[in-house]
Order: sequence, then C-alpha cells, then structure tokens
Amino acid sequence: MDAQITPNNSPYAIDVQNLTVGYGSKVLMQNLNFTVNNGEIFVILGGSGCGKSSLLKNLFGLYQPLAGNVLIEGQNITTAIGAERQKIMTSFGVMYQQGALFGSMNLLDNVTLFMQEYTQLTQAQMDLLARCKLDLVGLLPYETYMPSEISGGMQKRAAIARAMALDPKILFLDEPSAGLDPITSADLDSTIQDLSKNLGITFVIVSHELASIYAIADKVIMLDKEAKGIIAEGDPKVLRDTSKDPRVHQFFNRIMSKDAA
Amino acid sequence: MSISDTISDVSEAPVAVWSQIDANSAKVSLSGIVNVYSLGGVWTQIRDAQDAWLKQGDIKAKTLTVDSATVGSLDGAGIAFLIAIEEAQINAGAKYELSGLDPRYQPLLKEFDPISNLFPVPAVKPKRSFVVSTGMAVQNLIDDTVGLITFTGHLFSDLVWSVRNPKQVRWGDFINAAVEAGIAALPIVGLVAFLIGVILSFQAAIGMQQFGAVSFVGPLAALGIVREMGPLITAILLAGRSSAAFAAEIGTMTVNSEVDALVSGGLSPIRFLVVPRVLAGILVAPILTLFADIVSIFSSMLTMLIYGIPFVNFYNGMLSAVDVEDILSGLLKATLFGVVVSAMGCLRGMQTGTGAAAVGISATRAVVSSIVMIVIVDGIFAFISYKTGF
Repeated sequence: MDAQITPNNSPYAIDVQNLTVGYGSKVLMQNLNFTVNNGEIFVILGGSGCGKSSLLKNLFGLYQPLAGNVLIEGQNITTAIGAERQKIMTSFGVMYQQGALFGSMNLLDNVTLFMQEYTQLTQAQMDLLARCKLDLVGLLPYETYMPSEISGGMQKRAAIARAMALDPKILFLDEPSAGLDPITSADLDSTIQDLSKNLGITFVIVSHELASIYAIADKVIMLDKEAKGIIAEGDPKVLRDTSKDPRVHQFFNRIMSKDAA
Repeated sequence: MSISDTISDVSEAPVAVWSQIDANSAKVSLSGIVNVYSLGGVWTQIRDAQDAWLKQGDIKAKTLTVDSATVGSLDGAGIAFLIAIEEAQINAGAKYELSGLDPRYQPLLKEFDPISNLFPVPAVKPKRSFVVSTGMAVQNLIDDTVGLITFTGHLFSDLVWSVRNPKQVRWGDFINAAVEAGIAALPIVGLVAFLIGVILSFQAAIGMQQFGAVSFVGPLAALGIVREMGPLITAILLAGRSSAAFAAEIGTMTVNSEVDALVSGGLSPIRFLVVPRVLAGILVAPILTLFADIVSIFSSMLTMLIYGIPFVNFYNGMLSAVDVEDILSGLLKATLFGVVVSAMGCLRGMQTGTGAAAVGISATRAVVSSIVMIVIVDGIFAFISYKTGF
C-alpha cells in the first residue's frame, strides 16, 4: 500500500476492539476483534439474520455498540461527538441495502447533495463529478431520472455512486451485488477492484454472492448466529479449500443444511 | 492525510497552479493532495485562466500541458478536474498534453473514455401551449372523476358483500381504525366543540342584545349546533386526522407493493383495506358528532350564564326550538360525512404514486378532497332538507 495515499496515525483503516453488537438486552455478537487494512477489500459473510447489517451499522457509527470501540483511520467513532464525529463521517461513504436514494431528487442531485454541503466547488463542477461517479456504475444515461423511475438494481448502483460522492477513503457497501444480473455484477466487481487498486479505497462489503467474493475479496470474516462471533477469518479461497469447520465448509460449498447434519 | 485535515485542506497552498509560458503554450502544475476539498476554488481559477488564454490568438497552435509529476495523491475529483481541462482544450480545437501522471491513475482515466459523454448537451424542454395545458387539465379532471366513480362502485359492492358475509369482514382492522379515528379524537373534538359553542353564543348574543332578544340565543345556538356545526366540525376534524392517516397508511402500503401483493393473491384491496376503515368512519362520525353537540351546547349554556340566562331557561328555550328530528338529521349527515371522509382517505391512499413524496401528496390530497366532498354533501343535504323539511 502506498503510504502517500492514506498517511494516518493508524496502520489500519478500521480497527474493531471488543465490539458487542445488539439491541437493548438482545446480544447479536460479542467481543469482536478484527482489523481492516488500508486499501483492502474486506467482506463480511454469514447466514441470514446473523447480524451482518447490524455490525456494519455499528462500524460506521449509525448505531451505538453495546460495548467496545470502532476506530476509523485511528479515530474512535464510538466516542466522537460534534464536529469531530462529522469529520469522521465524511471520511467514508455508505451504500444501504435498499439504495436509500432521496426520492424527491433525480440521480444527479442525489450524488451532488453531499458535495454541496461539504465542498466549495461550483454546481457545474459538482455535476461533472457526479456524472463521473454515475459513469463508473454505468448509469450516466439516467442522470435525470428519479429513483422511482429506475429498477432496484439500478437504484443500488446509483446508491454506490452517491456513496462515492466525496471520494471517501472507505466505502461500506451492504449487499451491493444482490439483485444484479451477472454481467452488471461482474462490472461492479471490476469497478470495486479498480477503485481499491488505483485510488487506494478501502471497501467493507456485506455480501452473499460467492462468485463475487472469490473474485474481489482480499479478506473475509464469517459470522455465526449461534457462536455470536467470528468463526472464520482470512482469504475466501483458502477458507473454502482448507477450513475444517463444518459451518464454513458448508457455506463456501453451498451444501444444504439437512445434508450437512 | 488524516481525517482531521480533510476539510481544512482548502486553506493550504493551491494544488494547481497556472503558468503561461508563451502565447501558444501554457502549463498547469498539479502538486500535493488533489481532492474534492482542495480543488474548491482552484478549479474555477484554472478554468477561468484557461478560457481567457484560449480566447487570444490562434487556437489551433495552443498547447496546454498538465504536469502531474509532483502529485501526492489524486482522487475521483482530481480525475474529473483533468477531464474538465482536457474537454475545454479539445472543444476549443486546441491541443492537450498530460505528463508525469502516476500510471495507477491511467485505468481510471480510461474508464471515462470518450469524455464527451460526460458533457451532455442540455436538453431543451418543449414548452406546453395553453391549449395543451388546458386539455391535459381537463383530461386529469375526467380521469379523477372516472376514478372516483369506479371506486364508489367497488366500495358499494364490497360494502353490500360485507353485509352479506359479516364473518369475513376484518373486524380487527375495523376496531383499530375506530379506536384511532374515534376514541383518540375525543379530546380534540371536545376542545374544538367547546370553543365553537362559546364563540357562536357570544357572537349571537352581541347582536341579539341590541334587540333585547338575548333569551333567543340559546335556542338559536342549539339548533345551529345540532343541525350544522356539530356534524361539520366533527367531519373537518376527521378529515384532518383520520382521512390523512388512512391515505398515508394505505399510500405507504401501495409504495411498498403491499397492495399489489393483495391483488396478486386474489384479494380485493377495497374489501381488505377500505371496507373496515369506511365502516369505522360510519360508526365513529355520528358518535363523535353527538359528543360534539353535547359539549357545544353545554359551553353555550355556560356562556349564556354571563348574560344572565340560567340553565333552566336555556334548556326550555332549546326544547321549544330543537326536535329529535333535527338531531337525527344532523347525525344522518354526520354518517354521510363519515363515509365520504374515510372513503376519500382510502381512495387517495390507493392512488399513491411511487416514492416517499407520493405518500405526502396523497395525505394532502385526501384532506383537500375530503373537505371539498364535505361541502358538496352538506350543500346537497341542505337542499334536500329545504325541499322535504327533514
């Protein structure tokens, strides 16, 4: 990793320390410890309902964890407040599972919204920037469309473009390729790899798509509902071929639950 | 760059500097961290200098070199900046050269090839003529009326069906809607009715006092309340509270394809969603009206005490002016208002478009249409009352 791109006082893009995730008295995961390196494509795996999306929302500070800390580029997002917190918030972009585009704005305005708040560029400059982002996700011809006028998969891609609006160092993507056709999904994978390799952007992705995971992930962690924690960590291909854990083996080799039992 | 410097970068040394070498060649030197924050202001300066330079002399002989050898890092905005400079050069017919760019940024620059796609010609929206606009407005009105008639037909047939198959009506939804529209509305209906009673009596008393006819205020106010004010206040409050709530609830269901799920499952959304709410409207509107009548008359009695009219006199005067028929007429009208208000709320909810804004529009339309329909029904009812004496 080129040190010039992200010199900061932490060797990690994200450092998770003793994190406990849950709602009220319901604990989904406890004592999680892991780190995400700068420029890495990091994928969070796990069965449905094990709390992947909740973990993601704890990582970028939308929800307050029950215990533990999350350090983003060395800054603790769990304890940061006010202007400090806002600065951390602008250092990453988030794509939500359903896209969460602003329904009253067209795609171009959705992408420029955050630029209008945080930068001193003119409207024409922001529009050009937004078009570049839309072009990266293949939506340039749809810039004037409203979110309700495009398909679900396109909404997701537009949401990725919006997440990239301020060229953040870290992008959190919640199931980016679910619901996309294989070609678009492969295009998206290649865009993610380009951005990671060339701009040094760190990706934290929640995903189920095995093909996409093998293609892009530098490192995965696998969560389990029963264990309430991480049951496997490392390169997905290595895990697939060498893991002795039946749960990991089953997941990576798509074995039905009754066959495994 | 650490997060704390991200935004403050703007105040540091400019990341791009313009220098004109001679009449036909100029240079833009990039240095440091070229990002979405540090480009603020600089971008405009460079482009302005470029445009001014391009305007002088022979364009075809001009060459602009962008020197990016000392760039620390470049983000997506930096790449867009390079594209903007290149486009301005190429578009003017001049030459453009990029030197010293770190090869890792090349794939990203290639992503945007050809860059002309990023600069679309703004589409001119065709202006609608007055005739077309009028025609479209009329068409909308016709569509809306057709929608209303169709909906009324469906609703009527499903209400008849419900009477014949009472066991299949969703009574749980009915009770929820009735509690929400009825019991929860008691405080606001009570408050408004009380104040209307006071205001009505005071206003009437001020006028009547000049003719020494203060004792007639009681019968007059009571008659006005049971025949007109009671049903009307209740209906308008129902329109504001429940009609909007029904529209928003059903509207959100429409946006989330829940209504589609009912249809594709072979269920009538009108029977499933509208009938319980309309039945709730039919039940609560007359009850709330009766409550409003009682509170209003009571507040009117209190007000008349100030003018020295005791309760007994007020009561006797009221009995001579108000018949059971007047009260029933008011309650019948209230029932019709209940149907209209709840049905309009549901109809607007079902007509919701897509997106969050559409739900807000539906709720607004529900309230407006409900109030318009209340006035229309009230007018028709007044005419029938005049003709029949009921």
